[in-house]
Amino acid sequence: MAMRKVAVVGAGMTKFMRRAQETGRELAFQASRMALDSCEMTLDDIDAVALGTAPDAFDGLHMKGEYLSDGAGAWHKPYMRCYVGGGTGVFAAIQGWYHVASGLFDTCLVVCEEKMSSCQPHPQGAFITIFDHTTERALKPNLVWIFALEMNRYMTVHGIEKKDIARVAVKNKRNALDHPCAQLAADITVEDVLNSEVLAWPVQRLDISPTSDGAVAIVMAAEHVAKRITDKPAWVRGVGWSLDTAYWTSRDLYYPKYVEYAARMAYDMAGITEPRKEIHVVEPYDPFDYKELHHLEGLLLADKGDAARLTAEGVTARDGNMPVCPSGGMLGVGNPIAAAGLMKVSEIFWQLRGEAGKRQVPGQPQTGLAQSWGDLMQVGCVVILGV
Amino acid sequence: MSLVERITSFADAKVWYGNLPIESLYTVGIAGEKFFRAIKDRGVIMGSVCPSCNLTYLPPMMYCERCFAELEEWVEVGTKGTVYTYTVVGVSLGGAPLEQPEILALIKIEGAHGGLVHRLGEVKPEETEIGMPVEAVLKPKKDREGSILDIKHFKPA
Ligand SMILES: [Zn+2]
Repeated sequence: MAMRKVAVVGAGMTKFMRRAQETGRELAFQASRMALDSCEMTLDDIDAVALGTAPDAFDGLHMKGEYLSDGAGAWHKPYMRCYVGGGTGVFAAIQGWYHVASGLFDTCLVVCEEKMSSCQPHPQGAFITIFDHTTERALKPNLVWIFALEMNRYMTVHGIEKKDIARVAVKNKRNALDHPCAQLAADITVEDVLNSEVLAWPVQRLDISPTSDGAVAIVMAAEHVAKRITDKPAWVRGVGWSLDTAYWTSRDLYYPKYVEYAARMAYDMAGITEPRKEIHVVEPYDPFDYKELHHLEGLLLADKGDAARLTAEGVTARDGNMPVCPSGGMLGVGNPIAAAGLMKVSEIFWQLRGEAGKRQVPGQPQTGLAQSWGDLMQVGCVVILGV
Repeated sequence: MSLVERITSFADAKVWYGNLPIESLYTVGIAGEKFFRAIKDRGVIMGSVCPSCNLTYLPPMMYCERCFAELEEWVEVGTKGTVYTYTVVGVSLGGAPLEQPEILALIKIEGAHGGLVHRLGEVKPEETEIGMPVEAVLKPKKDREGSILDIKHFKPA
């Protein structure tokens, strides 16, 4: 495979918040401009733009990609929107990567935006139509339901207790206290999670990330350009993505096989044979606390059913052996869908460059992994960066 | 013959209605806030200026899409312009004939990049022409609420 080396050379993000005064395109502009400024580049230096954003219904704008284009810096440039539901943020980085790796472009600005506050009374109103209109919709399902069914299956298969899962919410919301863009940072306890409102057992209020407004952007460049721009490029060492059946009733809900396939693709590309030793910092997709555990297992970074123990023993703490969501994740920083996924890539970028401030994990990590998950709960996207 | 073609009434097949049960709540944004406030409070139309690209954006933007500068400079562009193109709308969105045909125009304002799409008023369709000078007619101040409809229409100037 004659692919060129590609690096992330810059990143920027807006605050994640419940309701932004900015329009979606203004949010996209703010993140894009910050990303360019961070590596002293201008729009003239950008050859192509990759945009990621989730359902049009969130912003209340059809053809949201076109609406956001000028805020994403796409004026008179090759431009393309990708969309794989919740997986979009990490997939957008993969899209940026192949734009450059293919040799077609030397630089690509990758922008992800979401303005979920537009969607009233709640984005669940848009989510309801992702369910099969014939067999499921008459039951008035919402997303929390489907997660509750998956979470219960996961807990029961492995004999994991709710309190073991609640530790993830506690860890991530505390980590987010050190993130200047965080929406839901909090110093909470396992008891707080267990005492929070039951939405659909076993899912409780504090098990869930919020809906948010926000945008994130990164700049990707081919090797010869990246070396000119920075002496700290974060190389894309591997990418992977995979899709399971759209019939969620046919999947093994206790284990995300599609995440494993995506991870294996990325590990192979990166030449990683022992991920638990070779991945130093991880940002798995954590819209719900159990999903962090679920995904660590799918990423082969924990044995099946063992991720909760790693959390309890502090292995996944910011100063643990394998820091997980040192950013604060979506549970703590917030969850503007596509932007939250790209936030995970940018967090790995900052961690590897030693630029994560108070969130910096110790030990100068050399390799990190970002993962997102979405579509009809069956897509896994993985990006591995290394310095 | 496709299945759809064979169904001649809803009774012939099991069908049902559904919808996307949401409403949208929009913010005017950083630039929009300034733009609409100027119309509402002072009855003036403003654009934002990119000095490097020598452009005055109308409607105003908070950034220049060409050079990505954040735009700090704002100017009044006046309320007079010319009809760049227009159409006479004969039917409603649902396809019903309109009692009173509506003239919709793209109005260009000298010195501004872009323009405003708005209704033309106080003029008959047969008197309307491209290149015609027009000016904005605003609602009385007490009725203005910070919306594009604070401009009632443009009329011949
Ligand atoms: Zn400019």
